[in-house]
Amino acid sequence: MKIAVLLSAGRHSVSGRPAPVPVELQALRLAVDLGAEVTGLHAGPELGPLNDALGHGLAHLIHLRGDGAADPVPALAAALAAGGYDLILAGRAGQGGEDSGLLPYTLARALGRPILADAAALGPGEAPGTLAIEQALARGARRRLVVRLPALVTVHPAAPPPLPFAFAGMRRGRVEIREVETREGLPAPAPEIEERAYRPRPKLIAKAAAGASALERLRAATEAASGGGRLLVDPAPEEAAREILAHLRVLGLRAGR
Amino acid sequence: MSRPRKDPRAARAAHLVAGGARPRFDLAALPAATGRPRRDPRAEERLALVPGTLRRRLDRAQRLATVPAAAPTLAAPVEAAPRHVVITEPAFLVALVPDAPGGRLSAHDRQLFGAARLLADEGGGAVLAFVEQPGEELGPAGADRVLALPVSGYDPETKALALNAALAALDLRHVLFPESAEGGDLARRLAALSGEPFFAGAESLSPKAVTRAARGRRVEQRRAPPRLLSLAPDAVAPHAGSLHEALPVEFAFPQPAGGAILSAQFIPADPAKVSLAEADFVVSAGNGVSDLEAFRALVTALGATPGASRMLCDAGLMPRSAQVGASGTVLDARVYVALGIAGAPQHLQGVTKCEQVIAVNTDLHAAMIERAGLAIVADAQKVMPALLALLQQERAS
Ligand SMILES: Cc1cc2nc3c(=O)[nH]c(=O)nc-3n(C[C@H](O)[C@H](O)[C@H](O)COP(=O)(O)OP(=O)(O)OC[C@H]3O[C@@H](n4cnc5c(N)ncnc54)[C@H](O)[C@@H]3O)c2cc1C
Ligand SMILES: Nc1ncnc2c1ncn2[C@@H]1O[C@H](COP(=O)(O)O)[C@@H](O)[C@H]1O
Repeated sequence: MKIAVLLSAGRHSVSGRPAPVPVELQALRLAVDLGAEVTGLHAGPELGPLNDALGHGLAHLIHLRGDGAADPVPALAAALAAGGYDLILAGRAGQGGEDSGLLPYTLARALGRPILADAAALGPGEAPGTLAIEQALARGARRRLVVRLPALVTVHPAAPPPLPFAFAGMRRGRVEIREVETREGLPAPAPEIEERAYRPRPKLIAKAAAGASALERLRAATEAASGGGRLLVDPAPEEAAREILAHLRVLGLRAGR
Repeated sequence: MSRPRKDPRAARAAHLVAGGARPRFDLAALPAATGRPRRDPRAEERLALVPGTLRRRLDRAQRLATVPAAAPTLAAPVEAAPRHVVITEPAFLVALVPDAPGGRLSAHDRQLFGAARLLADEGGGAVLAFVEQPGEELGPAGADRVLALPVSGYDPETKALALNAALAALDLRHVLFPESAEGGDLARRLAALSGEPFFAGAESLSPKAVTRAARGRRVEQRRAPPRLLSLAPDAVAPHAGSLHEALPVEFAFPQPAGGAILSAQFIPADPAKVSLAEADFVVSAGNGVSDLEAFRALVTALGATPGASRMLCDAGLMPRSAQVGASGTVLDARVYVALGIAGAPQHLQGVTKCEQVIAVNTDLHAAMIERAGLAIVADAQKVMPALLALLQQERAS
């Protein structure tokens, strides 16, 4: 099986210095663990810290060198179509760029491949040419999917951590540079987008009205949200137990399975 | 600011009592209304007085508007019941696609409705909800129109194709998605399919501008709301105050074709392994629980994630990772069961986001009893075995 892992130029979440994106290194690990022939792909003006990916278990990295302002999708789509990969892995969202997580989807459309999101684990499917994906859902739940290859899969941060960095691996790895000529008349980034320094916005706090006193905010945080709860004083233990189970059942929690 | 100058002669003339040979002025009579209400500082003070405190306390952070003292002419009718709003001829449509896991709207979905109403109410638009199973909570949540999507099982590609057909055929000004696992995935599929501009994870929203974080949360991007938007959690308040009609509408969706997904199987989270912050159902013990063996057995039998108050964690009876509260974990659970927990503010901060709390405590006046939706004043050591016995009985039958 041939697997391509898409690596983007990221920035460290704390220091802001150029660094590989953790979730893409996790994708790399999933690919290596499948025991496949893994190739890394990056489209951009320079490789920078992506050399580190070689130390995390990648043997071959293709750098599609081109204009930084250009859309990476055409270059990546051409290289991926020519490479004949069975599986393409990407991160859920970049970190340090636009970070919208849209690129894998536009790429899947350009290649005409199905895309599946948020893989936390990968395994070979029972039938040949299929892949079993464990998809991470909210609250620790999972969904097991079987898909037909070729496909594009994005990886979730709940996947196993990246392989440890090995300096010798970085020295051994091979980087192949391919020049991509940038075409004229590329779609420039949407001009209506304004950028400014990030300012964290306060999240909504439950129920307390704006301008309420500290006492009211405390009340909103600590009192019964639904108002007027039911109160049972000194019931028999059996009755209390019955009430609790009935209440849990109403809430849709099937007690005991 | 300018206000009309007082004309003393005219003011005096206003007090003139008609009739009589000599001109008579009644200066005690109320002056003719000038349109500007007069302040009554005493009435304001009476309203600002906080009742039930020993010492006299005035709360001037006004929630109560100043009271017009003279001639309360136009008393606005008090709205007791929520207003019913019917939009027959919408100027445009704002669509949204809630996740609605299990057919019930989540808190994030309700915030999505709030955002959609914000965009629609600006210009007389209507809110159209795309759902899998129409339910009756959609009207109060803020939906004017409801369209059922022809999807069964997990098939995001078919859902996206159906939405794309609707996007092309209906005059949708915006389509909103929650920035959750499913909603975010669907939004990006639709963006790639339709080629429409897409704004991922909006953190603030108004009809004029939306913002989001980019470049590793160092930069804030801002633009006028594009056609496709996904909304971050806890960014917009849910809709409240008016009831909408949730009128079902029809649309001829294209026939779904088979996708690449061969099989999909849902695997529920293992409550013993899932972290406390992610857990859906938490049962926790406090200082009032002395029989921890029974507690652990109960947690396993209920299929819940175990939690504890700081007292138990400090005593080494429960691991630190199980601590709920300000210095432990802030829960995101739907249901929280507190056994023998007093409900100190530091503990209650950890359960602010829980929808439903069940408390068992011997003290009627514990804060946890006040917070709970079902409060039981009883000995936890007796309730736990009773619960275990009942669960066993149920399993046997
Ligand atoms: C800076 C700071 C941070 C803190 N952070 C946290 C935090 O993150 N999380 C946290 O939990 N605490 C925290 N605390 C501690 C907190 O203030 C309380 O001390 C603690 O929550 C009390 O735990 P408790 O309710 O289990 O114990 P107690 O206060 O001892 O309450 C025991 C309760 O059990 C009841 N009870 C007794 N016997 C029975 C019985 N047989 N059956 C049923 N009920 C019974 C009693 O009526 C009582 O209400 C913090 C404190 C500080 C100062
Ligand atoms: N220039 C690029 N070269 C290679 N892969 C990329 C590039 N940009 C984005 N990707 C991939 O697409 C994913 C989502 O990126 P984004 O859409 O920028 O959030 C990333 O995690 C990468 O796997």
